[in-house]
Amino acid sequence: MKRASIHLFEKLDAQLGSIYQEISALARKAPNDAVNAFKIGLVNSTLKQCNELFGKDYLPFQDFTEFPQDELPTNSDVAFVVLQYKGCAEKLRADNIRLESFDEWVWKIDDKGEQIQTAPPKKLS
Amino acid sequence: MSQQGSTDRILVLTYNRNNYGIVADYVKAKERTASDCRNDPLFKQIPVLSARRKLKQIKALPTGKLDGADKQYEDAIAQLLPSILYPHLDFADTQTRSIGGSTIRDLVFYNNRSVDFLEEILDDYHSRQLVMELKNVDSIDRENINQLNRYLTAEFGACSVLVTRNPLPKAMFRNTIELWSGQRRAIVALVDSDLELMVEVFDSKQRPPIEVLKKKYIEFRRACPS
Repeated sequence: MKRASIHLFEKLDAQLGSIYQEISALARKAPNDAVNAFKIGLVNSTLKQCNELFGKDYLPFQDFTEFPQDELPTNSDVAFVVLQYKGCAEKLRADNIRLESFDEWVWKIDDKGEQIQTAPPKKLS
Repeated sequence: MSQQGSTDRILVLTYNRNNYGIVADYVKAKERTASDCRNDPLFKQIPVLSARRKLKQIKALPTGKLDGADKQYEDAIAQLLPSILYPHLDFADTQTRSIGGSTIRDLVFYNNRSVDFLEEILDDYHSRQLVMELKNVDSIDRENINQLNRYLTAEFGACSVLVTRNPLPKAMFRNTIELWSGQRRAIVALVDSDLELMVEVFDSKQRPPIEVLKKKYIEFRRACPS
C-alpha cells in the first residue's frame, strides 16, 4: 500500500471503531429507532471514503454503498453495516502487514521511507 | 341608593312580564350559542408516554368489528396520528362528510407544505388536504381500496393514506400500483410496524414522524413503473 493510503486507512479505521461504539450503544437501547439525518450524513461520508479505499476486493457488500437518507435506517441497521466494514478493514490490514522481527508488525509499503508499525492481525492476537 | 335599585328592578320585571316572548327568545338564542363562547385551546399534542400507551392499545386490539374494536381502533388512531404528525400535518378532522353526506372520510389533514414530501404531493397529486382511511381489518381487500379511491376527488387530490393493521397482500399492493399506472393515484399503506417506528422517532426525536410516511411513499413510488 502507498504511504498516503495507510494514513487514510488508519484514520478511517479509527472512525469506524468510534462510530460502531456509539451506534451499538444506541442500538442496545433502542434497536428499532431511526438514526438522525446528521449522524447518517457523517456515517455515509466515512463509508464513502472506505468504499474508495477498499476497492472491489474488500467491499463487504457489492450492492451496498451508503445508507439512503429517506429510508430511515435504524440503529441496529447502522451498527450491523459498520461492523461489516470494520471486519473488512481488518482483513485489508492483515493482508498488507508483515512480521518484521519477533512481535514487531509493520506495513508493507510500496514507496520508500520509514517503516510504519502496526498491531498484529486480530485473529492472531 | 337601594330605593333607586329596587325601582329599576320593578321596571325590569314589568318589562319582562309585558314582553315575555322577546325575553324567552333572547334566552333561547343565547343558550343555543353558549358553546361558541367556550374557550377553544390550541391543539395539544399527546405526551410521549401516552403515544406509547396508545400504540400498545392499538396493537392489542383484535382486527374486525368484534366488541367495537373497529371504533376503538379509529378513535385511538385519530388521537395518535394528529399528535405525532403535528406540526407537519395540521388541522386534523375526523369523520368528515362529503357535501351530499354519502361518504365519510375517517381522518383528514390540511397539507401545509411544510416539508418537501408534502410539497411534492401537492404538486404531483394536487392534495391540498390529505385523506386517511382507517381500516381495522386483518387483510385489505379490493373493496377497501375502491372505497378510498372514491374519496380521491378534486379537493383531496390523488394521494391518500390507508392506515391498517398488516401490510397489503401482494395482489392488493399490485392493485395500488395499477391505480397509479392508470390514473396517477397514490394510495400509501401505513401499518402497525410503521406506527411503531413513528412512535419510536416521536419519542427519541431523532427524526420527524412525517418521514416515516415519506419513506412509505418513496417505497410505493419505487415499486411503480417508471
